[in-house]
Amino acid sequence: MIPYDVLYKIAIFAVIVVVTAVLAKIFSLLIKGMFRTWAPVVRTHTQRLVSISIWILGLIFAIEQLGLRTDLFLLILGLLGIGALLAVKDTLENIGAKYFSDVYVPFKVGDIINVRNSSGKVIEINPITTVLLTDDKKLISVPNSVFVKEKVVNMTPHVWKEILVPITIRSDVDLPRFESEVLKACNKMRRYLDDRFPPVLTVKGRGKKYVDLVLALMVKAPSKKNEIISNVNQKISEIEGKMMRGKRKRRK
Amino acid sequence: MNRLCLCISSQTPLVRFNLSYEDLVQKYRALDQPVDLSRLVEGEDYEFTAGGVTRMVFPLLKRMLQEGRIVNPHWISLNPTGPEKVTTAGITLDHVQLERNKLKGYGYAKETMWKALHGIQKGIEPVYSLLWQDEFVDYTYYNRLCSELAMQLDRKNDFDLFYVNDFQQLPMAHMLHTLKPKIFRWHIPFDESLIPEMWKQSLASYFNAYDVVIMSCKRYLKSLKRFGYKGKAHHIYPYIEQDIYKKPSQREVEEFNYKFGIREDDRVVLVVARLDPMKGQDRAIKGFAKVVKNFPDARLVVAGNGSFSSSKRGIGLSKAERWLAKLHELVKTLEAEDRVIFTGHLTHKELQAAYERCEVTVLPSVLEGFGLVVIESWLYKKPAIVSSMAGVAELVKHEENGLLFNPDDPDDLAKKLSAVLSNQSLASALGENGFKTSRQCFIERGMKAEAQVMLDLVGRPANRRKVFG
Repeated sequence: MIPYDVLYKIAIFAVIVVVTAVLAKIFSLLIKGMFRTWAPVVRTHTQRLVSISIWILGLIFAIEQLGLRTDLFLLILGLLGIGALLAVKDTLENIGAKYFSDVYVPFKVGDIINVRNSSGKVIEINPITTVLLTDDKKLISVPNSVFVKEKVVNMTPHVWKEILVPITIRSDVDLPRFESEVLKACNKMRRYLDDRFPPVLTVKGRGKKYVDLVLALMVKAPSKKNEIISNVNQKISEIEGKMMRGKRKRRK
Repeated sequence: MNRLCLCISSQTPLVRFNLSYEDLVQKYRALDQPVDLSRLVEGEDYEFTAGGVTRMVFPLLKRMLQEGRIVNPHWISLNPTGPEKVTTAGITLDHVQLERNKLKGYGYAKETMWKALHGIQKGIEPVYSLLWQDEFVDYTYYNRLCSELAMQLDRKNDFDLFYVNDFQQLPMAHMLHTLKPKIFRWHIPFDESLIPEMWKQSLASYFNAYDVVIMSCKRYLKSLKRFGYKGKAHHIYPYIEQDIYKKPSQREVEEFNYKFGIREDDRVVLVVARLDPMKGQDRAIKGFAKVVKNFPDARLVVAGNGSFSSSKRGIGLSKAERWLAKLHELVKTLEAEDRVIFTGHLTHKELQAAYERCEVTVLPSVLEGFGLVVIESWLYKKPAIVSSMAGVAELVKHEENGLLFNPDDPDDLAKKLSAVLSNQSLASALGENGFKTSRQCFIERGMKAEAQVMLDLVGRPANRRKVFG
């Protein structure tokens, strides 16, 4: 027979876990709704980060309710974390830079760039470095952290026109239909875009849960870039939301 | 694995179904997918689609399977009716279905592209801005469906190669998220000067996503290079399975004559083409009308009906019917009603009889990707009068194995027709020499060239030596 107070603690633990799950979901939806104009890939990662943080806090709190001590555990975890961060500081800096350069640094594989007096075609962007191929067929490896600290010149033709919008959708979203909706929304902005380059959506990666896409647009005037990006991001959020709602309705 | 696992894709399906899958299930009680085509009745449940898909792609796959060059090929195509999966001759046919509204948009977009690439409606606004229209989004949607299906099949079958056919599916390589080799075969005419300026960047990026592009003749290959395609490119003449063209019996020819009201002493001039303004049946009629006075027994037989695109079970565009009405009107205007016969679709046996029965064949195309009917006509040793705007014109040596004419000049065609109808020895010589030339388009030759392209792409690892010898 399990004593009453143990049962009570387990019940409290279960309630906290359920409340944590609900809070994680609510915050995830709030972020999605509030930051519609953010790049979808940043929004998705923020949602995940906040969700994970809520879960960690909730679980620690729940474990404490069971009467287990978590302070020592937390201290060790924190020290280990600081030690690990210091040990791989440079690598993390590069990985972090890669994460941000994915979204904000204006070059991609295939572009011709100049950085720290080195010029070449970008042939690889890995988590640590970006590899350039020079005209005389030499390889230059540039740490990713350089790109967020130093001036990068992209010399690819038409590149100033280019807007690349990274999009992450759930793999159960109907991709052909999603693409159709996104392209139709972009076509409505035609007057701001270069007639010779209609919008193109490309699959960049496929995981079990998510599909990474990139929407390429070419603007007529660079001054409109931010406005277009913000509009496109908002439209994408609406389309994704509409499709998910449709899916839930069909399930019901 | 020592054979290539191939995924092929074409808009036009190998078979058109007369019944929906539900109707077929009702008829046969139980019919699991993939449906074995041999369980169904040809002519009743389905028909083979006329044209290059049945005459060229299907025999190629069958031959490659027989010779052990490929294994378990999948063939993706658009098929608005019928089952999603069908098997025949060791090939799995995977059908993509489009909803009616998207099918309409797709049909409009691809038809507009087709016209532009043939130089029709040059500079007109809808053509110019097609890539920004919702119909082009439907065209992209169709290509994305095919690409997604190809990727899904790839996860199960681990294909070695993707082989995409014709302009309707050009964006596929760009959409296939895989490093696996991709071949594209362009079947229609290619002239870079006809491509609207606003399309050039998009088309170039679609082309450049392929590892190899195959064109139907040297002329189009040169044009593709001028257009700026950077990858490997080859020309391979289209080919046919020559053995299926048999000499018909006397009775079969008589039945053909009877069915279409051809008299014994008629001198038959034959045009075989699908009903489409680009095929130039009007040019043939105008040229023919100019010689009827001198050759009172001459009769023009126009064989063929609409394509997959214009069929009700296909995309449902009505251009074949409109074109036939115009041709009838033209015949009436030229007072040649009793001299021109429209046969509609011919069965293979009837087609054999038509070639056997005719004295000369004409390919009057305004612009033509190739023109396999000339090769068919040569198999029966018939002289061919060929439009200089057809890809096959490259194989015609004027007055040696055929006669070339300008499709915009009815007098030129009339002159060439008179020459053949009035000079028996010239007609025989052209037919005999044409027969020799036709060997360049036999399937063995085509398959060897195709296999070589595949070999160059996938490499020759030790486990594939046996296959490609």
